[in-house]
Amino acid sequence: MVIIEYSELEMLIVRVREISGFDFSGYAKPSLLRSTSRYLTKHAMNLKELFVYIEQGGRAVYDLIQELTVNYSEMFRDPDYFKKVKTEVFNYLDSYPALRFWVAGCASGEEAFSMAILLKEAGLQDKSLIYATDLSNKVLTAAREGVFTLGNIRTFSENYLQAAGTGSLSDYYHVAYNRAVIAPELRKNIIFSLHDLTGDGVFNEFQFISCRNVMIYFSLELRQKVFRLLYDSLSLLGFLCLGKRETLRYSGIEQNFKIIDSELNIYQKIK
Amino acid sequence: MKAQSDEPLSLVLLGGSSGSFTIFEEILKILKNPVPYALVFIIHRRKDSTAVLPEIFRNKTNIAMKEPIHLELVQPNHIYFGYPDYHLLIGPDGRFYYDCSEKDFFSRPSIDATFISASLSGIPVKAAMLFSGSSADGAFGIKLIAQKGFPTYVQDPAYADSPRMPAEAIRQYDNHHVLLEKGFYKMIREVLY
Ligand SMILES: C[S@@+](CC[C@H](N)C(=O)[O-])C[C@H]1O[C@@H](n2cnc3c(N)ncnc32)[C@H](O)[C@@H]1O
Repeated sequence: MVIIEYSELEMLIVRVREISGFDFSGYAKPSLLRSTSRYLTKHAMNLKELFVYIEQGGRAVYDLIQELTVNYSEMFRDPDYFKKVKTEVFNYLDSYPALRFWVAGCASGEEAFSMAILLKEAGLQDKSLIYATDLSNKVLTAAREGVFTLGNIRTFSENYLQAAGTGSLSDYYHVAYNRAVIAPELRKNIIFSLHDLTGDGVFNEFQFISCRNVMIYFSLELRQKVFRLLYDSLSLLGFLCLGKRETLRYSGIEQNFKIIDSELNIYQKIK
Repeated sequence: MKAQSDEPLSLVLLGGSSGSFTIFEEILKILKNPVPYALVFIIHRRKDSTAVLPEIFRNKTNIAMKEPIHLELVQPNHIYFGYPDYHLLIGPDGRFYYDCSEKDFFSRPSIDATFISASLSGIPVKAAMLFSGSSADGAFGIKLIAQKGFPTYVQDPAYADSPRMPAEAIRQYDNHHVLLEKGFYKMIREVLY
């Protein structure tokens, strides 16, 4: 394991900003330190070599940025959450003629596909559009392809069953060359696009926004800024969902929301 | 209690896996309110584990126990537990950070993630301990803590239910204090008080 100190991380952040314009300074430093260490270990590099490497600019620094942002995800991650959304949120959304969902920080599409399945099984798919956005082109390309390993699929299937899916996950993919490909039918209501939560602004109004396990990587200050953006993007009485270990605490917008589920972090905008 | 908040924060870090649960229970029984440091227990957990450790251990000690929330300040005289499916990091700002990046040694939470982050946080470590477990997790983290000059303790592998974890720690760094079977809890009590 290659270990670096916070002072070295700060130097790296400055250099990455100078070369690429991308600013990690608002990211949660402990996670960034961990991912930098893992990056160096994986590529058998020390910090000095990394500095030399990113001087090339272009691809090199771009790859680094993508690898430093954690994009691990699963379909139906936290099955209880999806169960709750189905029982506590969907009955409410039922009355709308058209629905817009935003999965912010969608990684390789896992969460968006899960939402699409949930909507389909609840009979809401036809009037719903899911906007799934991420900062990383690499994961978005993977998301558009919708291809997962069979090992991934095994975990996803277990999650799906725990989330009380009404069929079998295999209804929603087919296997080709030892890979699972998500059914086009499921993808037709999903729009994948590039969006930087820390730099880009409001682009639509939504009845439902989930931003799960994304802001966990931001500092307190940056979090507040992004919470403001999510608030502004949400229609009145719309829902905001966060990851299991996140909360609205320290967000600056907590007074505008009603708690639907404090464990699973489902909130409704009331003013 | 006022006097305590003037003392700088220090950490007691405990890690273990299979075979460590009862050890954790016994250590909790030793602990009595107040203590001048924060204790962080990391035990490997399955991601679907619904056990709430502060609940399970409720009757063992009268010190406040919790699974911290993201960005919560680490406080003395509190006992903290990792949460399934997230690493628990400690930042240089004295706050807890959850992290859902890759597993270490097939574990999330991992002991290494917490120990490494603590060793880099600049917060003094009063003691770090590693107990029974069947993977190599924790060995690297506790080595870093030792190399920063903080006291580290490893259970004698010969008496651990699962020797792999403490044995690997000693293999990577042979200057840890070894907690022998004889006087095991007495020694731990002396470290903590
Ligand atoms: C850990 S994944 C979470 C995926 C999914 N929401 C889940 O909970 O499983 C975090 C994602 O956030 C994305 N991300 C990080 N910073 C971002 C930013 N500034 N704007 C948009 N997405 C970002 C990362 O690229 C990554 O794909």
